[in-house]
Amino acid sequence: MERLSRHGESQVTTLVKPFHISLPALSRHIRVLESARLVRRRRHGRLHLIQAQTAAVREAQKWIETYIAGWETSFDVLDQLLKKEQRKVQKQ
Amino acid sequence: MSSEIKKDGNRLHITRVFQAPRPLVFSYWAQAEKLQQWSGCKDAHSCTVEMDFRVGGSFLQKMQIKNVGEFTIRGTYDEILAPERIAYHADLGGAITRVIIEFIEEGVSTRVVLTQEGLPDEFSCQMVSQGTSESFDKLDLTLTQQAASA
Repeated sequence: MERLSRHGESQVTTLVKPFHISLPALSRHIRVLESARLVRRRRHGRLHLIQAQTAAVREAQKWIETYIAGWETSFDVLDQLLKKEQRKVQKQ
Repeated sequence: MSSEIKKDGNRLHITRVFQAPRPLVFSYWAQAEKLQQWSGCKDAHSCTVEMDFRVGGSFLQKMQIKNVGEFTIRGTYDEILAPERIAYHADLGGAITRVIIEFIEEGVSTRVVLTQEGLPDEFSCQMVSQGTSESFDKLDLTLTQQAASA
């Protein structure tokens, strides 16, 4: 995704070069990203050109941030519950 | 106190120190009546938890989420070592996520280290694939709830 964002639309064969994975393995990965609408595929004859969908990537990043914030909110509540219980124990 | 958050590939590590002894902290993850006190996010106005807290046992969390309706999460406990460690996996809309929670004693405090696998790449991709931002928001809330149920 980083390479796609940096270099724009790219061929699958170009994308595979820096990675130690096979072309079929990368193709599978691209299909997952495609179904997730994080990349778009354009066919030009036999060439398959892949382009990052930056809006979707931003949305995914936003989702992750919100997800992490969810843990924080829950942990804050747990923290308060534990403090309350600790105070109760100390009074006894 | 806020948490320490690290992303390592598709793993998420969240560390938080609670000012309470380890058995007490552990009990808030191990007992349904305690878990449901903190497992709801601000958008959930009702949360119930049913759990069979043993290895191979399952849990079921139901919640009413504002503007979304009822949502249910099912999971299975893979490891339980009281009061040190809990591991479970849960199915969230076809995506399997695995969560490991470690409870480390630090004097009178307890360090909780939560590791979540399946995030962010594959899982978030599946979230995005749901299409509309409406369903994306719904799943977002769902995951927040699921996270809280751990």
